[in-house]
Amino acid sequence: MPLWRRRLGALVRNRTALAGAVIMAVLLAGITLGAELMPYSAVDMDFANILSPPSWAHPLGTDSFGRDVLTRVLYGGRISLLISFAGVLIAAAAGTLTGMASAYHGGLTDAALMRFSDLLFAFPSFVLALFLMVVLGFGVQNVILAIALVYFPIFARLARNTTLLIKEEPFVQAARLMGQGTLRILFREILPNIAAPLVVQASVGVAFGIVIEAGLSFLGLGVQPPIPSLGVIMADGREYFQRGPWVLTLTGLVISIALLGLNLLGDGLRDLTDPRLRRQAEL
Amino acid sequence: MSRAAAISWRFLGIALTVLVGAFAVFMVMKAAPGDPALVVLGEQAPPEAVAAFHQRYHLDAPVLEQFWLWFVAALGGDFGRSLTIAGGTSISGLIAARLPNTIFIGLYALILGVIVSLAMGTIAALRRGRVADTVATSIAVLGISMPDFWLSYVLVFAFALGVGWFPSYGFVSPGQSLSGALYSGFLPAVAISAPMAAVFARTLRAALLELAHREFVTVARSFGFAEVFIFLHFVFRNALIPYVTVIGLQVRYLLGGVVVIERIFGIAGVGSLMVDAAFGRDYPVVEACAITFLVIVLGVNFLVDLACTFLDPRRAN
Amino acid sequence: MAKRRRNGLSRRSLLKGASALAMTSLAGPWLVGRAGAVGATLRAGITGYDVINTLDPGKATLIPEYYVIWAIFNGLLKFDEKMEIVPDLAESYKVEPDGSLEFKLHANVKFHDGSAMTSEDVKFTLERLLDDKFASPNRSKVSAIDQVTAVDPTTVRIKTKEPFAPLLTFLTNARTGTQILPKGAVEQMGAEAFGRKPIGTGAFMVKEWTAKERVALEASPHYFYQGLPKLGAVEMPLIPEESSGVTALLGNQIDLTSTAPFADVPELEKRTDIRVFRQAGLNTRFIALNHRKPPFDDVHFRRAVSLAFDREAMVKVVLFGEGVSSHGLIPPSLKFAYDPKPRELTTFNAARAKEELAKSKYKAGTEAAILTWGAGWWKRVAEVWTAQVNQTLGTVLRVEVTEANTVYARQRAGDFQGSVWGWLGFVDPDEYLYDVLYSKGYRNFQGYSNPKLDDLLVKARQELDRGKRGQLYKEAEAMMIEDMPIVPCFCSNVHNLASTKVSGFVQLPYSNYGDTFQSISIA
Repeated sequence: MPLWRRRLGALVRNRTALAGAVIMAVLLAGITLGAELMPYSAVDMDFANILSPPSWAHPLGTDSFGRDVLTRVLYGGRISLLISFAGVLIAAAAGTLTGMASAYHGGLTDAALMRFSDLLFAFPSFVLALFLMVVLGFGVQNVILAIALVYFPIFARLARNTTLLIKEEPFVQAARLMGQGTLRILFREILPNIAAPLVVQASVGVAFGIVIEAGLSFLGLGVQPPIPSLGVIMADGREYFQRGPWVLTLTGLVISIALLGLNLLGDGLRDLTDPRLRRQAEL
Repeated sequence: MSRAAAISWRFLGIALTVLVGAFAVFMVMKAAPGDPALVVLGEQAPPEAVAAFHQRYHLDAPVLEQFWLWFVAALGGDFGRSLTIAGGTSISGLIAARLPNTIFIGLYALILGVIVSLAMGTIAALRRGRVADTVATSIAVLGISMPDFWLSYVLVFAFALGVGWFPSYGFVSPGQSLSGALYSGFLPAVAISAPMAAVFARTLRAALLELAHREFVTVARSFGFAEVFIFLHFVFRNALIPYVTVIGLQVRYLLGGVVVIERIFGIAGVGSLMVDAAFGRDYPVVEACAITFLVIVLGVNFLVDLACTFLDPRRAN
Repeated sequence: MAKRRRNGLSRRSLLKGASALAMTSLAGPWLVGRAGAVGATLRAGITGYDVINTLDPGKATLIPEYYVIWAIFNGLLKFDEKMEIVPDLAESYKVEPDGSLEFKLHANVKFHDGSAMTSEDVKFTLERLLDDKFASPNRSKVSAIDQVTAVDPTTVRIKTKEPFAPLLTFLTNARTGTQILPKGAVEQMGAEAFGRKPIGTGAFMVKEWTAKERVALEASPHYFYQGLPKLGAVEMPLIPEESSGVTALLGNQIDLTSTAPFADVPELEKRTDIRVFRQAGLNTRFIALNHRKPPFDDVHFRRAVSLAFDREAMVKVVLFGEGVSSHGLIPPSLKFAYDPKPRELTTFNAARAKEELAKSKYKAGTEAAILTWGAGWWKRVAEVWTAQVNQTLGTVLRVEVTEANTVYARQRAGDFQGSVWGWLGFVDPDEYLYDVLYSKGYRNFQGYSNPKLDDLLVKARQELDRGKRGQLYKEAEAMMIEDMPIVPCFCSNVHNLASTKVSGFVQLPYSNYGDTFQSISIA
């Protein structure tokens, strides 16, 4: 049986991962295809139709400019997911590399890299993100950069702490004695063994990245109008909560479902990527 | 290197980081457009009043000189006075008044989170794949899947305005009344702890599962140790390393990541202070908050590392 | 044409409402630090703001600062419920033909520290504002004053270099900074300390002020209106989130708010457990167009963008109907200077807009950024405006959101193309027009200059006859609209939310607050 069939089989057998994958598949279909199929525009205003409650025509109602909230949520979901994913990806790549190298080499490199990540790490994510917004101005790239900066030290520390544990393990020592190169050891021996917590952290990270974007928008920072993001939609909805509670509550619900999918998928992936658990499952 | 020397090195590193951080923050703030005078005097302030304000606070001096002036005073333990808050309020006083609120709410949320996650994470790992695991994991996943400020609104509308069990707004400082603080701080603490508890529980479960299959556990089992002993001594103890690390990671979130929740519930915390100061270009307040954050977070990191060394003596070398 | 008005000490309006002083037994965080003052405590939230920098009227500029200042100080004059100027600390006053004023002061007024208020205090207050070294942000309001003379302890004469019509309004207890201070106490404490622990003649005195959190007031035992205030104390928590102000009120954590979110007003009005106060406000919102930068350096383009959007629709979706569209800077509540006739250039007309665009050197497809800040309705103004203008003219205007302080700084530096702007709480037409439109006006960030308009604005300042003066402002606005330096948008209603226990609250259009605490009682 080819590897991918086995992997797929494992994914299907793992109910958590399956549930997450199904939710994410539906949401991804929604924000890609569904958004294009919606009969409404995400930005065009319809003043005859402001704040109408959920109905068949507008399942999530309309907002204060008469725009269909579902359409905006689908487009906004696309933006939010993109922002968060890009930010976390950058952070995970840079942070893991830094953390592993730092732990493996030790000494001055470790001290310098760790102080740098400590410095970033010491600032609350919001404050860090806000500084960037204030200095660089608002916009999608800067939100991505903010999320990356927020997550970089988390990945760096996690990678470092787990690498420290792993590098004394016999199989790493053995690899070193066999004269394998540093890069090879880092990527072939250490990375697979520290991947599990990193993957969990990354899935959590993408989920939290969406929350960070939403929080920035809550304070009036973030992406520029008329681009919708989930955070922008919710921040708008908060302003007329008594009048049109559906905008905040239903958008929040959609975010919750999206995060649910991401987290379930992350859990499932963790089980699948963990070499020990996999070995067990395959035996 | 002796242990004492290692610790001194570490402290030197922390001091250096704080210094570099303070300088970086100052330069970044200065690079941003904006003017504290416009916060104090309003956006319609006449230019003469703005000029007088600049002169008074040396804002017309070169940036490096401004940093130096601030730095010299700060070395002497004087954080100076705020540019924008209440006619030059003492910054040390502001932080002293707000830090207890932040720490209280943070600890409150942390304790709620740790209790819930210890129970859920352990149960989920021990009953892996069974109903209890599914239930605990689902709750954890749900907890993490709700944006904190959305959860805040839901909690306010359900438990404050709905059934009326908790105040809808306002926070009593623990210095004034501990029971009042516990009562008025409950909803915000829950909103903060929900996603945290979820992260903790998932980390614990993941670590426990991973360790359960390690060689040394199998070896221990073959020696005939009791399962409870194996779990507590080999599995749980080692699983606490990532668990404690992840808890340590939340400290900065508790200090400044909960700004939105602070605003919704009206909690006067350090995070909101710093964010408002950054918006208002209140440079000395931003600096003081940055230093507070740096010292606390670096201090906690140090303690977490110390705890990890204690849990895993191999790391002491 | 000397006028003299008398003011009785027991204005009926102030005695309206229940007279019983009841202690409230409500549990709530704001009551924790409460002392055993006689009379009830009102919990009056300052909603939507959390910055109070000083309580010294000479230094104050922000509206939340005035919310408190109005409760602890009095001006020589004040506004009554009909927005007429009536004496306050003055017993009576008269206006000389040359614009000079003579005030007869009440003899029995005492400051919170028990010292008597005399003409020396009035002289001191005004001279302090005029002092260059003091650099008061409110200096321009009194800069026309030449000399202040304390004739005797209860008579004070104010002479101006030339007639200065707005002076009377600027001496009221409004957003003016001319509230009367105790000379002795200010000199003894110094400006800094006084700003933190002010002493006034008002119904309430500051008991405690925690920066960014709350101001606690208690009743003054020396207040010169008999039987007032009715309350024993006022707690004023600063609540930065307007929506949190609503939940705080609904959850019985406060009794009164200083504002309400526009969108929520209709829903809140349906409720029986709270009362919504609302009326047309004294404020103005507009889009400033920078004359120094393309494309708004072209008058036809400026006219086109004003003609290209529906102000009624904007009021409907931005304010949820809580306001009126405006075709000038002067709000309708300033009746004597407001011209109710609709103007062609500020009325939506797509065909006319395209005509103007055709005359302009810019065409469809022209790009420009409209600077604004935050979430909230400021951003919504820009969103609605750009969407409508782009639809009508085919232009590519976009919204550039950043945070408020950056916007202020960039406005001042002239580093913007268009920018949403406006202010509230001003009480004289001069405040709405002069500094924004006068060539050298310090708020004229759009770089607009029209010498004819300058003349009109100066003339209006010097015209003491109210009718004629109003006419001058109407002319000035008509002239300004032809040049379209700013695009008028709307004027919003002012709102307060109160629990049904609160009685005696009097709302005025200039977003008043602390000044009405004296007449409030709580059941």
